[in-house]
Amino acid sequence: MQIEFNVNGKEYKMDICPTMRLVDLLREKLGLTGTKEGCGEGECGSCTVIMGGKAVNSCLVLAPQIRGQEILTVEALAKDGQLDGLQESFISNSAIQCGYCTPGMLMSAKALLMANSNPSEEEIKIAISGNLCRCTGYNKIVNAIKEAAEGN
Amino acid sequence: MKVLNKDLKYVGQTFPIHDAPQKARGELVYVSDMSLPNMLHAKLLLSPIAHGLIKRIDTSRAEALPGVIKVFTYLNSPNKAYSRYRIIPNQEFCIEDERLFTEKVRFVGDRIAAVVANSLETAKEAIALIQVDYEVLPVLSTPEEALRDKTTKIHPAGNLIYQYESQLGEQALLLHDCVDVETATHTQKVHHATIETHACVADFNSSGKLTIWAGCQGAFGVRTIVADLLELSYNKVRVIKMPMGGSFGGKQEAIIEPITAFLAKEVRRPVKLIFDRKDCIIATMTRPATSSRIKTRVTKDGILIDCMVDTVVDAGAYATSSVDNAYAMSKKICKLYRIPYYKHQSKIAYTNTPVAGGARGWGAPEIMTALEIHMDAVAKMLAMDLVEFRLKNLVHPYDRDKASSLSLGNARVIECLEKGAAIFGWSERYNREPDKGRYRRGVGFACAAHKNGMYGGFPEHSTMTLKMNEDGSFILNTGLHDLGCGTLTSIKQIAAEVLDINPSYITVLEADTEYGPYDFGSYGSRVTYICGACAFEVAKRVKEKLLECASLIFRKPKQYLEVANGRVWIIGHEQQKISYREIATTAKIKDNTDIIITHTYHGTSNPGVYAVHFAEVEVDTKTGRVRITDYLAVHDIGKAINPGMVEGQIQGGVQMGIGYALYEEVKVGSDGRILNSSFKDYHVINAPDMPTVNILLIEQGGDEGPYGAKSVGEIAFVPVAAAVINAVNNCLGTALSDMPLTPEKILATL
Repeated sequence: MQIEFNVNGKEYKMDICPTMRLVDLLREKLGLTGTKEGCGEGECGSCTVIMGGKAVNSCLVLAPQIRGQEILTVEALAKDGQLDGLQESFISNSAIQCGYCTPGMLMSAKALLMANSNPSEEEIKIAISGNLCRCTGYNKIVNAIKEAAEGN
Repeated sequence: MKVLNKDLKYVGQTFPIHDAPQKARGELVYVSDMSLPNMLHAKLLLSPIAHGLIKRIDTSRAEALPGVIKVFTYLNSPNKAYSRYRIIPNQEFCIEDERLFTEKVRFVGDRIAAVVANSLETAKEAIALIQVDYEVLPVLSTPEEALRDKTTKIHPAGNLIYQYESQLGEQALLLHDCVDVETATHTQKVHHATIETHACVADFNSSGKLTIWAGCQGAFGVRTIVADLLELSYNKVRVIKMPMGGSFGGKQEAIIEPITAFLAKEVRRPVKLIFDRKDCIIATMTRPATSSRIKTRVTKDGILIDCMVDTVVDAGAYATSSVDNAYAMSKKICKLYRIPYYKHQSKIAYTNTPVAGGARGWGAPEIMTALEIHMDAVAKMLAMDLVEFRLKNLVHPYDRDKASSLSLGNARVIECLEKGAAIFGWSERYNREPDKGRYRRGVGFACAAHKNGMYGGFPEHSTMTLKMNEDGSFILNTGLHDLGCGTLTSIKQIAAEVLDINPSYITVLEADTEYGPYDFGSYGSRVTYICGACAFEVAKRVKEKLLECASLIFRKPKQYLEVANGRVWIIGHEQQKISYREIATTAKIKDNTDIIITHTYHGTSNPGVYAVHFAEVEVDTKTGRVRITDYLAVHDIGKAINPGMVEGQIQGGVQMGIGYALYEEVKVGSDGRILNSSFKDYHVINAPDMPTVNILLIEQGGDEGPYGAKSVGEIAFVPVAAAVINAVNNCLGTALSDMPLTPEKILATL
């Protein structure tokens, strides 16, 4: 099927199998491997991207659902080579260890800050509750998001 | 090497993990992101039954599917048995009981077939077309059943893999005025839950060389296993350590690499194998399930007289590292307590359940959880304060480890406990009036000991090559494996401190069996203590050499030279300083010298590393749910090389430990089926569940690690479950010890 969509500000018109998942489209067709897959059933959040302003698990989105949508992936966070405040804050707060959950975590945090520029700690924890991290214990991730919000 | 508190510039500072910017941009290529020209995809058929013999296997329909390159089973693959645990050839206790594909299935998840195809979709489709008929055999799902049943044999030699008994010290004859206490603790199988599942890419080219891209903890171990299995000489096998999305012991043993390498060698094209989450839960490895019965005798004033432990380890369907794991369990208790007589008996058994193996802490979490639940029970039996009882028995600095006869080094566990108890407000919180309502709070703590490398039980050395580039920057070539915890960064900080140059001028390379020096791998809490010491020593030698070159330029002996920030000058003539660049270039051009050193560091000690963790919990007596409301982790770390990463290790360890205590278990039915093989029903702690972890680091140095540093990644996990369980038991007045403490188990005791 032919569909049109926008990823990271770029318009695409592609012929895609209707059962293809967004995560596969991003990783395999567009080469955007920053979006990771950890479980394939929407439980770990590694594949989180922003679609229509909201954080979604790209493993649960099928190609037809992206028709006419604007999608942002981790690759879109840095602008002109400059890291986004969230990325800077994750780095300076030691919130990154193995880094496999980081892209999804950043996109959930970005979606939160796009909707709420001054979230409470509880709101931050809820916003990333669908993103599993096995390395950090979340403390430093929550601090990093808080600090990025304060810097906005 | 007892350099501790001179003015340190880089050691003791927080730096982000070396590849943090690439990770934040989504640019770092993990194995699961890799793609090579002409690459094929593999998928495995895993056994749906727990025990049986393959009577007939029909792969014809799969082979006929367009896009399928080849299908492999036990019928067209080597019948050679291997041990996925092997680190070096001729290593003891590497039981060779596993094959690439099996004719006899021993657990739900055993490898039956592999399809190699043009796409992963085609490979998956083909897998569904393979037909297998089994002769079903009785399932032994627990070690008790497996040890009892003498007719059903999971492996030809029977279900008991190994048993042993170790006795240390002399049993006291004085029996009066003592109290005997006995407890039993069961620890469960746990999924490592790395967020990146297991993945591997391999290629066998026309020159006869096999290349394996692995997210592993020991590239040289992978080479040993694969090369010997496929009968290739080691120079024809190159294993490249790739960035990995977590490990925690789950990628220590060669699980996925041998099969991927075999497939690539057969089809002569690059092959990628990636496990989905279900494969990863059932068919990689779990933390071993253990049962430990501990019996101690104490005097009425609380002095331990003897301690007897009986452990059963459930190895699952293949032995892997289980014998060494059981040995590790028996070598921990005497690192923590002074015990005149200690006896540990262990039995390790096969079961028709997922394979158990290396897991963060390697036996220490299992035995320390049992021990610290026990120590609470002893103190309560004596009506003694829980802290006071521990203080009477904990080891002191420079005590001797009964099990290894080595010094425990500057073992500061007493300081951890005393300072932690004061900061946490232990006695006020423990002695306050108990809650009576629906929500009840309670506190608990646990002490723990672990090690620093393998010295005393296994060879222990590390080799590194440090070369100075012509511009004065450096490349440190190592056999290290960064598992995502900042290993390369801390090694870089150590080298930078010695060389007195900004760390940005040093590149640290990870393991590559072709281009780099040998290293055993990242396990055994050896990396900072042993490999860090190697980095320190090699940097020291390179610095000497560059000073020799500088002394030729200045025509002054080395002892008249001063070094700082990548520059050298004659003492008192700082205005005439020369840069490292000038030294390196002059050495090459004028002195015809290359500044490069390869050094092998040999471990000569293995001090204890300690932590005491304090937890406050709130139990909802209506639902049985437990919430951690406060947490303090106190660590005897010697010296924190990178405090931000150290805190991250501790907070991550606490997160994993809370899961171990309360939620996580790979549940196996009596028929051997896995009851929770997805993240939908295997609960990993998320952000709202996680308390803030307060941390106190005791940095007293005193041992042979670089700048006094000791290990942290494994010990961070060791005391957590016991601290949480002790808190729940103190809160409810219970003696729960069957992990995990799920709401159902808690409600059943109320």
